Amino acid sequence: MAFILRRVSVTRAGKSIVRDRALAANAVRIGRDGGNDIHVEDLAVNPHHATLSSPDGRQVVVTASAGLGFDYNGRSVERAAFDSASGGELRFGGHRLTVQREGDAIVLLVERVDELSQSAKDVDEVRAFSLRGLLPGRRISAWGFAALMLLAFIAGPIWAWQAYKDVDKRPAGFHADGSWSSGPLSKAHAALKDDCQSCHVEPFVAVTDTACVSCHTGEHEKMSAAHANASTATLIAARAPPGAGDRVLAGFAEAFNRPQGRCVECHTEHEGAGPMIATPQQFCADCHDGMAGRIKTSLGDAADFGVDHPQFRPLVRPAAGAKLVRASLDSNPRDISGMKFPHDVHMDARGGVARMAASFAGRYGFGRAGLECKDCHSAERDGVSFKPVEMEADCAMCHSLAFETVGGVTRTLRHGEPAQVIADLTAYYRSTAPTRPLALGGMARRRPGQYAEGAVYNIYFREAALRPARADQAIAAVFSKGGACYDCHTIFAPASGNNWRVLPVKQTDAHFSKGWFDHAAHEETKCADCHTEARTSKQASDLLIPGVKQCRDCHVGETGARLAGIAVDDPVKSSCAMCHEYHMDGGPPWTPKPAKKRRDVTTITAGTPRDLYSAGFTPRARAGTGG
Amino acid sequence: MAGLIRRRTRAAAAQTERVRQTAHEGFLAYAGFRWAKISGAVMLLVIVSYALIDVSPRHNGGSWYGYTLGTIGALLILWLTALGYRKRKMTRGAWSLKAWTSAHVYLGLALIVIGTWHTGFQLGWNVHTLAWALMMIVILSGLFGIFVYATMPQALAANREQMTQMQMVEAIRAFDRQLHVAAQPLPPAISAPVQASLAQDVFAGGISNRFTGRYPGCATAAARRGLAGVPDAARVMDLLGQKQAALVRLRAHLRIRAILEVWLYVHVPATFALIAALSAHVISVFFYW
Repeated sequence: MAFILRRVSVTRAGKSIVRDRALAANAVRIGRDGGNDIHVEDLAVNPHHATLSSPDGRQVVVTASAGLGFDYNGRSVERAAFDSASGGELRFGGHRLTVQREGDAIVLLVERVDELSQSAKDVDEVRAFSLRGLLPGRRISAWGFAALMLLAFIAGPIWAWQAYKDVDKRPAGFHADGSWSSGPLSKAHAALKDDCQSCHVEPFVAVTDTACVSCHTGEHEKMSAAHANASTATLIAARAPPGAGDRVLAGFAEAFNRPQGRCVECHTEHEGAGPMIATPQQFCADCHDGMAGRIKTSLGDAADFGVDHPQFRPLVRPAAGAKLVRASLDSNPRDISGMKFPHDVHMDARGGVARMAASFAGRYGFGRAGLECKDCHSAERDGVSFKPVEMEADCAMCHSLAFETVGGVTRTLRHGEPAQVIADLTAYYRSTAPTRPLALGGMARRRPGQYAEGAVYNIYFREAALRPARADQAIAAVFSKGGACYDCHTIFAPASGNNWRVLPVKQTDAHFSKGWFDHAAHEETKCADCHTEARTSKQASDLLIPGVKQCRDCHVGETGARLAGIAVDDPVKSSCAMCHEYHMDGGPPWTPKPAKKRRDVTTITAGTPRDLYSAGFTPRARAGTGG
Repeated sequence: MAGLIRRRTRAAAAQTERVRQTAHEGFLAYAGFRWAKISGAVMLLVIVSYALIDVSPRHNGGSWYGYTLGTIGALLILWLTALGYRKRKMTRGAWSLKAWTSAHVYLGLALIVIGTWHTGFQLGWNVHTLAWALMMIVILSGLFGIFVYATMPQALAANREQMTQMQMVEAIRAFDRQLHVAAQPLPPAISAPVQASLAQDVFAGGISNRFTGRYPGCATAAARRGLAGVPDAARVMDLLGQKQAALVRLRAHLRIRAILEVWLYVHVPATFALIAALSAHVISVFFYW
């Protein structure tokens, strides 16, 4: 039996040198120890790793010693037996032992196939010393991220738009074009959060007014068309000439199909949740600041309430029965309603009227301190404006039209119907001779404590002295100076077929048509603090409307601007929209509801009990026009 | 006479240029911080004009001022990205790569102001803010890169002690060969840990090992722990100690290189993501106009 140990070494030139050595032993010991038949200098091999033998000279049996096994034809085993003719490949650590038969001998070829250590292997310096292989490659991640962005933020949103462009309401859930939203919608439009297509109808077409009025129908449709019935061309002409930047933007807007004058220019969206933001005064000032120089208009220029606002121009009636015209308060206009009414007499705290009112204290809502504004002027239900003064409700408590009592029932002349008055008096004289003089006086001073509505007196009245014996005398007395009608009304004496006539009273129910004043928002302020001339006014035609100067005692511009020399303790920042309504649809100007529960109210006098200056309006619903 | 003066001026300029090149002026200080000054002026201009210009109703990306800043910002981003192509061509003079890099760095910093002021400080969870955030990631990673370029090379040189990278590997190979010989007569109890040390790749370890410089699975360190005080292992222990020292140097080197390199793994991919998100930002504005 012969084993031949064959070792192959390679010269520097690459030539192989084969050395064969016959092994005499029947069993060949393999291991790292120098005493083995096959000495393998390999730390991965045990000192005595395995024994190889061939009992019959053909069959080869390899048995591992205790400890490590070896590889036989690629499989890890502890014992292997095979025919040497077919051969086999064994592996011990980094060495390969190939068994094959050559003639009668079994040749054992031993070669080192692995590097002696891992470090001895070739190193790709650039790669090994860099982060390559440890992090995803720059190129792959660059294209990967870019593709992800394009997919998620271009392809996805466009797909979402395409899928839902013709629906009214999208199903709830995720919609990829939500990522395009530049900010949350306001509270008013919050329900449209997922429905981008309801406003952004066509791609690359700026939101149109059509999209707005598809929901805002009715009066909104009209209001969206124009401002103060002006054409869009006029509105654009009214604008201040744009600066360089705005011209660039305008050119840009034109080039990219974004027309001017659309609803959304003032009603900006995607500005954050919560109420829609109030339109800033800048939007108004863009046109109204210096507008008189740009277009033909009767409007004064205005830019900021605190410093640049014209005097108010309320509607007044310059002559009895004339049409209402606007006149500046600076021109001291008169508002002629046809009434005669001296405020000073009624409001004098020590005068006869005050004494009479005091005698009625507890009735008709009168107090002990004389008449107050609320005793004659009553607010509309909404508290914003006042009802017209009515004879029956607001005057008749004192100004009685009673002329007779029959069996405890008082007969009064019909107010507002002069013909009826004449008829009643004529009938009175025709039926019976008067047992007592008629009580038809008007302005003559009455004695305190003796009068009440409907009571009939015979003490003072001129009628008593005159004792008209005939109806026409009594009628003339009523309509003449000192008579019940004449004291308050303008009377026309009978002429050319006409009987006595009374000039119809025309009260101006709203002096401001372009602005909005909310009395309820000022309920903590005394009437006379603003209507300062009421106590001294001698004529009904005195216009007691406060001017812009008085408003500026509390109200400053949107940014707090005020004129020099005006001290404001508790300034109310007031933008245009507090009083003015762009769309002019008759309602109050729209302003966002204040976040605070309590509305900001101006107080001029601190510490006065509220009852004293309560003007007697019913508390208004808090919604609506904020002050 | 005038011609003479002109010639002298030109000669002086050439001299200045030569001095600049020989004295190694880095890209940060290029031309007396020319681009730093330009960039500072741009930032100041944006901040001041933003405060002075009255945009109604309030600043936002959609005002004319916002569009102006946005357009400048977008073009600047594209130009800054072009450095990736430009850097492969070395040239001299005012359009040198150094000048280009200097402008890249400082104009990139100016982009913080241009981009952020373009937003009008209205940020949210949307593609617009995503583009802004990616832009900030790109800029801040670049800033980090400059910081490490300015501070780390000294540490790298100190650690190397004049050795090249391959010399470091060669030193370890030498210790491995000696260990292999020295461990031959030793019993498996000693030779096995040594073999484990030999069998371990010196570059083994993940990204966290690279950045911390700590390798808890190091077979060489484990062998030294296991063989401490073993009678026959004195020679092997000595060699393992030397191999360990060589490994420590190599790993410190790898750590510094990793820190020097890592910003680019953020900067470059984030740039491409930014350009994609920027496209989405622009398209979305016009699509839902």
